[in-house]
Amino acid sequence: MKKPSKKREIEYCKVCRLHHDHGSRHKYFPRHKDLLSTFLDRFRTKIADVRFFLKNPSVLRPQEQSQNRVWCVFCDEDIVELGSSFACSKAINHFASSDHLKNIKQFLSKNGPAMDCIDDFRISEAGVAKWEKKCQSLGNEDASSFKGSCGQLSGTSNDIHNNLAFKTMDKIENVPAQLINSHHSSDVLPLQYNTNKYQISHSELPGVAHYGSYLNMDSSHLPLHTDPPSNLPGNGFGKHVIPSRSKDYPSNQDQERKQIKGSYSSPGEVGMTSISSSHSNDACGNVHSGAPPPWLDANDGNSSNVQLNQSDMSSSFQAKIPGKTRKLNPNRVGAAWAEKRKIEIEMEKRGQTMNSKVDADWLPNFGRVWQSGTRKESRKEFEKEKRKLVKTESISTESEPVKIQPYISKRARRETGENGSG
Amino acid sequence: MSSLLLKTLTKKEEIDRIIRDTIDEVLVLRFGRCTDTVCLQHDDILAKSVTDVSKFAKVALVDVDSEDVQVYVKYFDITWFPSTVFFFNAHHMKLDSGTADHTKWVGAFHIKQDFIDVVEVIYRGAMKGKMIVQCPVPPERIPKYNLLYKDV
Repeated sequence: MKKPSKKREIEYCKVCRLHHDHGSRHKYFPRHKDLLSTFLDRFRTKIADVRFFLKNPSVLRPQEQSQNRVWCVFCDEDIVELGSSFACSKAINHFASSDHLKNIKQFLSKNGPAMDCIDDFRISEAGVAKWEKKCQSLGNEDASSFKGSCGQLSGTSNDIHNNLAFKTMDKIENVPAQLINSHHSSDVLPLQYNTNKYQISHSELPGVAHYGSYLNMDSSHLPLHTDPPSNLPGNGFGKHVIPSRSKDYPSNQDQERKQIKGSYSSPGEVGMTSISSSHSNDACGNVHSGAPPPWLDANDGNSSNVQLNQSDMSSSFQAKIPGKTRKLNPNRVGAAWAEKRKIEIEMEKRGQTMNSKVDADWLPNFGRVWQSGTRKESRKEFEKEKRKLVKTESISTESEPVKIQPYISKRARRETGENGSG
Repeated sequence: MSSLLLKTLTKKEEIDRIIRDTIDEVLVLRFGRCTDTVCLQHDDILAKSVTDVSKFAKVALVDVDSEDVQVYVKYFDITWFPSTVFFFNAHHMKLDSGTADHTKWVGAFHIKQDFIDVVEVIYRGAMKGKMIVQCPVPPERIPKYNLLYKDV
């Protein structure tokens, strides 16, 4: 007697990324367990990175703030390090919080496995306290030089549009020249002003004309009143000032010109800067050298230093083909026959002469139209019919052709017989 | 034109060989005459679709006038031309298209897509272990015919 299955609600499993109505049984499914272990391993590597910064706190530069972010899978939130002065400070505080612990417990109870791995995914309060002490000691050293600039520069890095831009421009004057120089000339600089068609259309002077005309268009927005841009005549300003590109104002105009020249692309292209080549000169290789992509290696936990040769690639391709057949459904139609046939073909290729001569009477598995029953029966019936046909044909060929003769009566035959003997 | 792209088989041995050598792919065998107009239309559709289904199907034409092939004409109960029979791993695949004969497709396909859909459905069914599949072609595009039982 089968129990009638209850109609369960459809739920979404974050780990398997699919909807199911298995209910609480789902976490014991082997596929779910496999996916869960990879899921948690991935998060463990992220926490390991954060733990590194826990042990070795380092100062976080403002331009790297937006890059330093962690997605917490238990709390389903993105932890961005905006406004924090030390690397992963918000992440560390989050992983030590009680809310995060609650979410871990909830996740593990819903998805399994056992609760003994909770500590892998959180940071203890003692650890946080130690980290804070280290940060304080670091902070005391750099406090004066950093705090002021961090706030201002983070303001400029986030703001794209006009209004805030010219407010901070006043402050930027005060920024020491060191910081300007420390910025890599090829850093992506934020847009201070709206881009405009005019920037592209005017091409008299290669670089500067763009900005000149641009300034014309947006003159209402721009602080032409403030001190540094006062040397701008408005229309035909010379090569002296190139304000828009730099987030730091032209206190050192020559230096900036040099910087900007380095990063400026050809006329007609707006807002393009080249990425420094240091990123691309990794030992890891790239698309052109045929190196494996980083996301594949991340799952193995190995660094992407493996360089695949052509032979390796070809062997991996070859390995794919038998792998593909291995994955074919063993319950597919004619699976057993297919496997046998593949082995036969391989042996024939190797040169081992099999009995390759197919029986002339071989017939494939076929279910006939007017046949009810198994396909073997239909084949037997066909073969019976064939035999009958053959018999009737052979009978007809074996019998001699009948000679048709006129009827001769007994008397006539007797007379001819006597005449013949007599 | 289509005979240039598709193999035409005239002997039982050739048919046996192609059935036995097609592994894990659908084998489509068209029984017909290359001079018949409906066969020509059918062959045209087959020839145009052969590259689209090449990854999971093979198509071959069988000339029904050849003597060697009469065994199969009788074995497969072929009475109408063109008739298309489907095989997977040397096993015959049946197609329930709402007609009297589920063992084959009788007549020509109206559009290329119909043929591709039929082959796809057969492949999917075969991979799941099903020996009979439902025809995806809508009834208005399925050719109608009368099946005679022993000439009755």
